[in-house]
Amino acid sequence: MAARQYFAPNSVDEALQVIGRHGRIGVVAGGTDAVVGHRSGKSPLADAIVGIHRLQDLNGIKVANDGGLCIGALTSYASLLSSNEVLERYTALADASAIVGSCATRNVGTLGGNIVNASPAMDTGAPLLVFDAVTELRSQARTRQLPIAELWTGPGQSVVADDELLVSVTLPSLPPQSGSAYLRLEYRRAMEIAVVGVAVQITLGADGVVAAASIALAAVGPTCFLVDAAGNAIVGRSLDESSTAEAAAAAADAARPISDNRASENYRRQMVSVVTGRAIQVAAARAAGRTVNIPASQRWREATQ
Amino acid sequence: MTIGDRVPRGDGPEKVTGQAKYTADITMTGMLHARFLYAERPRARIIGIDTAAAKALPGVFAVITQDDMLDVRYGFFVKDRTVFATDEVRFEAEVVAAVAALTPEIAAEAVRLIEVDYEDLEPILDVEDALRDDVDLVHAGFASYEQMAGVDRDRNDCAHMTSVKGDVDAGFAEADVVVSARYRSDMSHAAPIEPHAVIAEWQGERVTIWSTSQVPFPARSQVARTLGIPESNVRIIVPHLGGGFGGKCDVHFETHIAALAKVTRRPVKLVFTRREEFLATDKPRHAAIIDLETGVRNDGTITARRAKIILDGGAYSGDSHFASEISIMMLQGPYRIPNLSAEVHTVYTNRTPSGSVRAPGAPQTVWAVEQHTEEIAAQLGMDPIDFRRKNLVEDGDTGQTGQRFDNPNAAACLERALEMAGYGQELPEGEAFGVSCGWWFSLPVASGAYVKLNADGSGTIVTGAQENGSGSVMGMPALAAEELGMAPEQFSIVYQDTSAGPFDLGSAGSQTTMNNGRAVIDAARQVRDELLQLAAHTLEAAVDDLELVDGAVRVRGAPTVAVTIGELAAQAHGGELLLGKGSGQPLPMPEHDASECVGRLFYPAFAHPSFFCHVGRIRVDQDTGVVQVLDWSAAFDFGTILNPIGAEGQVEGGTVQGIGFGLLEGSIYKDGHQQNASLLEYKLQTAIDAPPIKIAFVGGPAPAGPHGARAIGEPPVVGPPAALANGIAAATGARVRHLPMTPERVWESMQATGVN
Repeated sequence: MAARQYFAPNSVDEALQVIGRHGRIGVVAGGTDAVVGHRSGKSPLADAIVGIHRLQDLNGIKVANDGGLCIGALTSYASLLSSNEVLERYTALADASAIVGSCATRNVGTLGGNIVNASPAMDTGAPLLVFDAVTELRSQARTRQLPIAELWTGPGQSVVADDELLVSVTLPSLPPQSGSAYLRLEYRRAMEIAVVGVAVQITLGADGVVAAASIALAAVGPTCFLVDAAGNAIVGRSLDESSTAEAAAAAADAARPISDNRASENYRRQMVSVVTGRAIQVAAARAAGRTVNIPASQRWREATQ
Repeated sequence: MTIGDRVPRGDGPEKVTGQAKYTADITMTGMLHARFLYAERPRARIIGIDTAAAKALPGVFAVITQDDMLDVRYGFFVKDRTVFATDEVRFEAEVVAAVAALTPEIAAEAVRLIEVDYEDLEPILDVEDALRDDVDLVHAGFASYEQMAGVDRDRNDCAHMTSVKGDVDAGFAEADVVVSARYRSDMSHAAPIEPHAVIAEWQGERVTIWSTSQVPFPARSQVARTLGIPESNVRIIVPHLGGGFGGKCDVHFETHIAALAKVTRRPVKLVFTRREEFLATDKPRHAAIIDLETGVRNDGTITARRAKIILDGGAYSGDSHFASEISIMMLQGPYRIPNLSAEVHTVYTNRTPSGSVRAPGAPQTVWAVEQHTEEIAAQLGMDPIDFRRKNLVEDGDTGQTGQRFDNPNAAACLERALEMAGYGQELPEGEAFGVSCGWWFSLPVASGAYVKLNADGSGTIVTGAQENGSGSVMGMPALAAEELGMAPEQFSIVYQDTSAGPFDLGSAGSQTTMNNGRAVIDAARQVRDELLQLAAHTLEAAVDDLELVDGAVRVRGAPTVAVTIGELAAQAHGGELLLGKGSGQPLPMPEHDASECVGRLFYPAFAHPSFFCHVGRIRVDQDTGVVQVLDWSAAFDFGTILNPIGAEGQVEGGTVQGIGFGLLEGSIYKDGHQQNASLLEYKLQTAIDAPPIKIAFVGGPAPAGPHGARAIGEPPVVGPPAALANGIAAATGARVRHLPMTPERVWESMQATGVN
């Protein structure tokens, strides 16, 4: 039995040294995926582990001059939900943060952990995609910026190198009259994994026509991914039944679902269309200045009353 | 007066403050850790087992297989199982070998080093195939197995039972309409939050086993048999139990760990992972195929029913026969059916052995029967409630083996639940009410307890009863206090220790209050008589003139002429001690005639039957099939409610568990392997999913139980899946005939029916 090593550095530089020294070290922030993965046998803990919870530089949300956000990798879901900027302007990220796991998960789980864990069913992935988020990866040798769409390569896999640490995520500013939503098809109301997840970001023009739109999917492919054709289907048009249905159909076409214990491929594909349509409606309502409670998945249940 | 008061349970504070010790919390000096090697294939012949490399690993103290055990088979109804696999493995998590090592990690490494040479065999996974004569036997040696008298079995059918009443052909001949349907339910799990754990330690020829058992006495007898020692040399102690729901009935791994402890001469501890809890504990709820055919007249009179249930018993019979017999008793349910022909087959397959999950055999059968009930009403163009009102049993009606119902509260439960739910009100689109009715029993069996008074006048109850979390043992002080004019908090309880208390069947069959309550009352009455004798001498009064009130014996009409129980107890500790024992005859079964039935064992009739009705208000998302439970109402006739906190807790917990069985809980199997053996993918209801639950207890005291109480533990879980199914059908127009009714299955049923 190999001896385990555990490090708890006090600074980012110290953390990068530890990570640089060890080939494959397990980076643990909230630990909500690490513990579950280890216990289930799916992803045993590495022999060496670095706990990064002391790196307070990585914890918090900074508002840029242009209104964009820089979110530290250690920022918890609960912290995201206490940020007015996230709640009011990057609402899809709030929708997602509000439904991850349980209260306990949201208190200790971090945005950076969710990103690097690279689950195709992650809740924050699709929202980060529709906001064109840019990640910052640091190693001892270099710092690089990488669009979130280029980060994931497959289930549990990303381009984050062994010696790199995800330090922050930047969300560019959004034009006025923008609104977003993340909706998840879920079977129960807590401790749930997305069966299908859809994020939509919409910017309305002065005439009420869609000026820009972005749609991303979760749990229906090897990674979360953007569907340009779905967003394009509503750009330049007013949102009505027919344009929404076209976008929903484009999303369903782009979905590459698998059959697993949660749902069959066919059901998932059909549900991509349903959930996309609903997410467009919520995002459009928010873009138009109407309040839709967070999380939108909750409202969806109530909307069917 | 304490009966009927809202009394918080005595073990609550230590549990919620983390002071309560569970089996996995126990650590001993020199203790070793056990891990098992599992078959990891559904069916294979064992050609050879090589443990040499595992034994050679530093830190390993023992590796044992069936070669190290007595050649003895065990099983409650059919002795079909050996402690470790012999010659053949019959399900994926059959235990082939066990290791004891210094750490769990070394033990796991040693397990990997055990080499087993298998010849894989075609698994028997389809229950209907398994009943054919040309299919392989799961147990080639079935004919040689010892069994309990009365068990009817042949080949792969390990529990065949029938229920026949009247002339079913004549009944169908009288029918205007015949309705038939097939229903299927998947296997589901008890899923207690505490996984199985066992610690065993020997001193000389005696072994003490700390175990997460719901039934320490029945477990002890099987441990004694498999170890070849007398029951008096086996002591089973259950620390606090973190839930059981039937999944910890019967014997599990006590013998395996005792055997490791014996050869290593050290205490050995086993703690299951969640995955093992799903795969290896072999007490899930039976998967079932249920065929129902009922004849009715146009006026709604039921004339006859034919029914056939096939339960998937898995690789070993365990305590399956309880499920077989209860399921057959659910087929007539609370309805008046003059002619019945029903059969149940419980079939060996190469799956995890099924067993006694809370109300074994019942939720899935009632789910089918109550959907069938509404389908019959629909065929007749009758309102489903009116159809029930016409057919629910009334005073003087007879059950399926002729037991007569004495003022049954079946209709009263229906009306009360409908009233609480506001049934009949206009609901928004997508919402509907779902209704189910049913019945349950109280199980009369032997049980014992002692009551003793300490020198300071406090009391101690020593009982064989097992507390599984329901609070039933926690209710015993109130029963003793009531007899002795004392307060419940003056009593401590010694329980869950086979060397301390007298026999009790365990936390099974909803029987604790019914049987052990009677024993505790008997024991307390004996102490009461002793107290009165002693007081009569002290007070120089006749026993008949004395009363026990507020902790003292006093002369009736002269309350100042009194002596406290404390004074009497002190006096007794200089002479004859104040000790009571309770046991006595269990209550009789109702009159019935099962002579025409085959294979019947414990439940040819239902003793002290109770009735219930659930009404759920649900919403179905018409585009996705997701079901949301908005509101719930449930009515039960449990007789006297001894402690409303406990009774309501059982109804709330049972209802939410039943909703889980209805909507999400089911094992997904592929090629003989469970695919969703984790709490991530086997989805229990969470607290936020639970609807508000309105509860009514109807009817007066029952004639038989302690202070007029009936059994409470299991019945609340029986009805919810059925109510949900009828609600889904009402909301969508589509019947879901496969349990659990997952969103995808609801959606598929809507697609198939052309609802959208």
